[in-house]
Amino acid sequence: MATSTVSSIPLSLSDRLATGIIALMIGAFLVFGVGLANSAVLHDTAHDTRHSYGFPCH
Amino acid sequence: MIVKTLLAAIVAGLIAGVFMTAAQELRVTPLILHAEEFEGEAPAAPGQPAGEQPAPTDHQHSSLSGASTLSNALAAISPVTPAYAHEHEGEPEEGGIMFGMSRFSGTLAANLVTGAGFSLLLAGISLVIGYPITLANGALWGAFGWLAVHLLPAVGLPPELPGFPAAELGDRQAWWLATVLLSAAGLYLLALRREIVAKLAGLVLVAAPHLYGAPLPLDISSNVPAVLGAEFAVAALATTLAFWIVLGIVSGFINDRFLRVN
Repeated sequence: MATSTVSSIPLSLSDRLATGIIALMIGAFLVFGVGLANSAVLHDTAHDTRHSYGFPCH
Repeated sequence: MIVKTLLAAIVAGLIAGVFMTAAQELRVTPLILHAEEFEGEAPAAPGQPAGEQPAPTDHQHSSLSGASTLSNALAAISPVTPAYAHEHEGEPEEGGIMFGMSRFSGTLAANLVTGAGFSLLLAGISLVIGYPITLANGALWGAFGWLAVHLLPAVGLPPELPGFPAAELGDRQAWWLATVLLSAAGLYLLALRREIVAKLAGLVLVAAPHLYGAPLPLDISSNVPAVLGAEFAVAALATTLAFWIVLGIVSGFINDRFLRVN
């Protein structure tokens, strides 16, 4: 479904899915690291960011 | 092309992260610093140098708004602030900001990484479901991202200030993550599928975590004034809404400008 709507992005279907999944994995890793990872150093560095994004924090 | 697509998303996220840092400094960060003054007399952070004076807020707070600007500036410059004291109650692991960065640069770095992360997630969803983010629909993409990641989870777990009572961290993180995922799936079904059944299923997905219920603290007493909490919740949601709309529009602009064939 809906593949006709992606004509503006010049990727084949398999490339598009692969790129999408890579983007989701990297994005999830980055957001997890800043927002949820249970490390004191990461927590302290990202402290104000965690609070202002409303991530559950300490 | 794959790398270019990923880079486009990362660049959009970095731009939105810089914007977010500026927007946070207006309202959200001052409220966090203010709330930390009420957080109780927890011991100072172990990483704190002995000669380091706590940010001199007490005598300056009696004067007018210039004082809080000054203490914010001091807090931004100081490598370690008393703000992190709450982290170390009985925790064996030592905290402290990475690479000896100041509080402000730590926040900036975290915002850049978060911006890139959310941007990649948004781009990834767009690629997988086959709806491109364009300049024309970027603001809507951003608004839906905000609904899924911020507003809907905030119904159960409003943005907290330091020192607020809260349930077990692991429970809240699990509920938050589940709510974000269910909300995103539900919004997709509601907004982008035409079938009535899909829309009903979307509504069920969006409502499910709230019917289940967010983990609540047993004791809701707090030293932090309630007014601060209300101001903070609204400020945090407004700031993240601005972040997501900027992110969506910048993503759409970059996609239109650099990734389109024609």
